[in-house]
Amino acid sequence: MRLRLSKQFSFVLNGEAVTVTCPPAYTLLEVLRHVLHLTGTKDGCSSGDCGACTVLLDGRPVHSCLTLISQVEGRNVVTVEGIGENVPKCYAEEGAVQCGYCIPGFVVTTAAFLEENPSPTEDEIRDALRGNLCRCTGYVKIVNAVKKAAGGIG
Amino acid sequence: MRSLAYVDVLSPKTLEEALEILDENKGDIRVLAGGTDLILQLRKSTSFNGKLVNIFSLDQLRYIRLEGTNVKIGALTDFHTIAESPIIQKHAPFLADAARWIGSVQILNKASIGGNIVNASPAADSLPALYVLEATLTLQSKAAKRHLPISEFYKGYKKLDLRPNELLVEISFNSVKENQIGMFFKHGLRQGDAISVVNGAVLLEVTPGSHVVRDARIALGAVAPTVVRAKEAEAHLKGKKLDEKTMSEVSELVVTSISPIDDVRGSAVYRAEMCKNYVYMTLWKIAEVLRS
Repeated sequence: MRLRLSKQFSFVLNGEAVTVTCPPAYTLLEVLRHVLHLTGTKDGCSSGDCGACTVLLDGRPVHSCLTLISQVEGRNVVTVEGIGENVPKCYAEEGAVQCGYCIPGFVVTTAAFLEENPSPTEDEIRDALRGNLCRCTGYVKIVNAVKKAAGGIG
Repeated sequence: MRSLAYVDVLSPKTLEEALEILDENKGDIRVLAGGTDLILQLRKSTSFNGKLVNIFSLDQLRYIRLEGTNVKIGALTDFHTIAESPIIQKHAPFLADAARWIGSVQILNKASIGGNIVNASPAADSLPALYVLEATLTLQSKAAKRHLPISEFYKGYKKLDLRPNELLVEISFNSVKENQIGMFFKHGLRQGDAISVVNGAVLLEVTPGSHVVRDARIALGAVAPTVVRAKEAEAHLKGKKLDEKTMSEVSELVVTSISPIDDVRGSAVYRAEMCKNYVYMTLWKIAEVLRS
């Protein structure tokens, strides 16, 4: 049997410096869920299509399933656990959540988007969320939640 | 999909170190840039037993510069940066447009232009734009550097003129001139994040005032083993105005340059038809812009 490789990686996670020891080709998603037990980030499709595993890498949304821990060395990662309260609260209040599996990805993408564009139009909201799929509710309530988080309604 | 727990990843700190690693591990190593396609390929593969050289942290390969009329893009530059770059928006607007539609926000933030080129998918969305720009690729190894027109880089389906110890480091092209107008088109099955069924780019040079076409470049993707230039269609456009008859004839002529296949995203017949239609629509849009 081949020996499993292990290397050490340091990065900033939700504002705190962390060091993990794991295989260098583990995905960031594997490290978050299986090594650090931060299970807020979801594994939807494992192939970069659904956006459920979205995290912020140096402030920008990326797929943690298509990112290797080796690419994260020295960088800054924010997961849904590190996102402020406003966006999740607006999702809940607008009833944008049914099964909930896609929501951490939506919340992370929304938070980064509103940081860049605090008063977006509906078209801009839909465009920013084009990489996040929800198979339960459709997108009307999700878009409303983003509007609310931006201070648009309520 | 398998875990990559047994794959070693080497992470050089400098370009020189990366080229050294490639030189020592000829052929047995894959280059990891953004990784948005490679990681998926490797997780689906049962045959990969090599190593990865992770160049993701080589920030010296991230830049967009204008030198005279020459635009230079570092190979690691991501598509979000390309789409938003004032230099690209001004000097190759249809490349900015192509970059914008390559994938979701998440993909744009990580995928690199160099990765899109070396991954060599015939459906890669940056390629038709780079073909009509007649872009030059800079390939560097430990000992040498060479420049290659993009059309000569592809020798067949996923076959590249890239030596095992070489790294694509830069993409360059001349900025679009005043009397040139270009457009990108893409037909995917999902607007937000889809592999193209057909894509392409058109770049026309027209005589100011009369709008007679002086030079035409049409590049088509996802309809042959590599991106192709529609040479007969291009030749037919030269010396003509963009009237209804010319646009119809030109869009019919693109079929002489393509050899589409049936796959999960569409049949060969469908692809050929969509390719003709999109070339027609793109010429029509260009004609509209010229009129206004």
